[in-house]
Amino acid sequence: MDVLITSTLEAFRLLLSGNAEIWEIVGISFQVSTLAILFAVPPALLTAFFLTYGNFPGRRLLISIFNTFLAVPAVVIGLTLFIILSRQGPLGDFKLLFTQSAMVIGQFLLCLPILVCMAHVTLQAANRAAWETARTLGASPVRAFFTVLYENRFGLTATLLAGYGRIISEVGASMMLGGNIAHYTRNIPTAIALETSKGAFAEGIALGMVLLFLAFLLNGLLQYLQGKGSINP
Amino acid sequence: MIENFRISFRDISKRYSSNPVLDQAAISIASHDCIVITGVNGAGKTTLLRIIAGLDKPNQCEVMIDDNRPEPWRRLRRRLLRSVMYLHQQPYMFAGSLLRNIQYAARLNPAVTDRESSVNKAIHWAGLKGLEHQSAASLSGGQKQRVALTRARLRHPQILLLDEPTANLDSESRQRTLQMLQEFRDSGTAIVIVTHDPEVFSELATGRLYLRDHRILGQDVETHEVVNLESVRQSITR
Repeated sequence: MDVLITSTLEAFRLLLSGNAEIWEIVGISFQVSTLAILFAVPPALLTAFFLTYGNFPGRRLLISIFNTFLAVPAVVIGLTLFIILSRQGPLGDFKLLFTQSAMVIGQFLLCLPILVCMAHVTLQAANRAAWETARTLGASPVRAFFTVLYENRFGLTATLLAGYGRIISEVGASMMLGGNIAHYTRNIPTAIALETSKGAFAEGIALGMVLLFLAFLLNGLLQYLQGKGSINP
Repeated sequence: MIENFRISFRDISKRYSSNPVLDQAAISIASHDCIVITGVNGAGKTTLLRIIAGLDKPNQCEVMIDDNRPEPWRRLRRRLLRSVMYLHQQPYMFAGSLLRNIQYAARLNPAVTDRESSVNKAIHWAGLKGLEHQSAASLSGGQKQRVALTRARLRHPQILLLDEPTANLDSESRQRTLQMLQEFRDSGTAIVIVTHDPEVFSELATGRLYLRDHRILGQDVETHEVVNLESVRQSITR
């Protein structure tokens, strides 16, 4: 119990004293995960939209594939990309392994199915009349698409937050693809794993607190948005 | 004022799985028309409107505009989306205020040059003055119907399709809707209404058609004339 209390107090001290190493790790985490989500959102929304409004052969199969990918563990994504990006792999010439780019690719693939499936559910539950009204008023398909996104902005923002929460806290793919290199690919989850294995609990707890605070922030934002989108304002 | 036109839809067939909804149905619509279509539930009335509007894909359909040669529906779909407007039974209101809903329609019509003035005139026309900043979602059914018709006015459609436009409206709102539709008709817009209550539109209607056995009864598509209405009525009641 003493260890937990002293480590937690030390963690607070580390965070409040502006420990450069800790905040650098936090910065890398946010940079990688934000890039991954930014790259994933456009294709995910387009895919979800076509899955909802499209009527093409293989649609149901595609939905099943994305649903299946929801359950794929991060380490499996990490392992697959590790093989593809390693020197002997088909993309080995790009020398991406153990770089932040590799981590972004890994996190992109991790959050894409979440974004697609959740956005698809959101759009499917929404009123189809939004699309039809926009089209019948003369909106181009692109304009009508953005109208539908705006009409469903609360649900879609919740989707985005869920995806972000998933990738910022994942350790498997980041560890395998980034290699946990100090000052370069060490992010919050990989740093926590490392510090814990070294017995440096204070650093681990400090980083854990940042993650917890982020989770709290995302949940707060989600609840606020859900409240705004409520049918009983 | 809308120029005179005539659009004929022929061989309209639509199946859901193996169930036919429309089978070689046909309808001819011309400017200043107000066609009222009735039929039992599930007869395919809404499906017919959605096909005419370009929203639902038929299994088969040919469209003839004026005296041009017939063309497949899919080739003319874009044109239908541009010139036909479909109003849902419960009009969809975009998020935000009533004003935003009207402005949305005005922005999409390049012919509307002085947008602010056009929007104000349209709001005044619909008797919605003073409600501009009210949330569109909180409007009554009658007010939503008027917003939908105001958006349509800013769109200037050749054909206006309405799905049960007076269902669940009180007599005052119904009267107001009828007045607005009369103005559409006077300006040349053709109106097609599907309803279970055709008597409401008796003064406005120029023709009354029936959907039965997946076909439209009551009109000769070639001549655009209402035909042998009595025999049609008898076949309905038989």
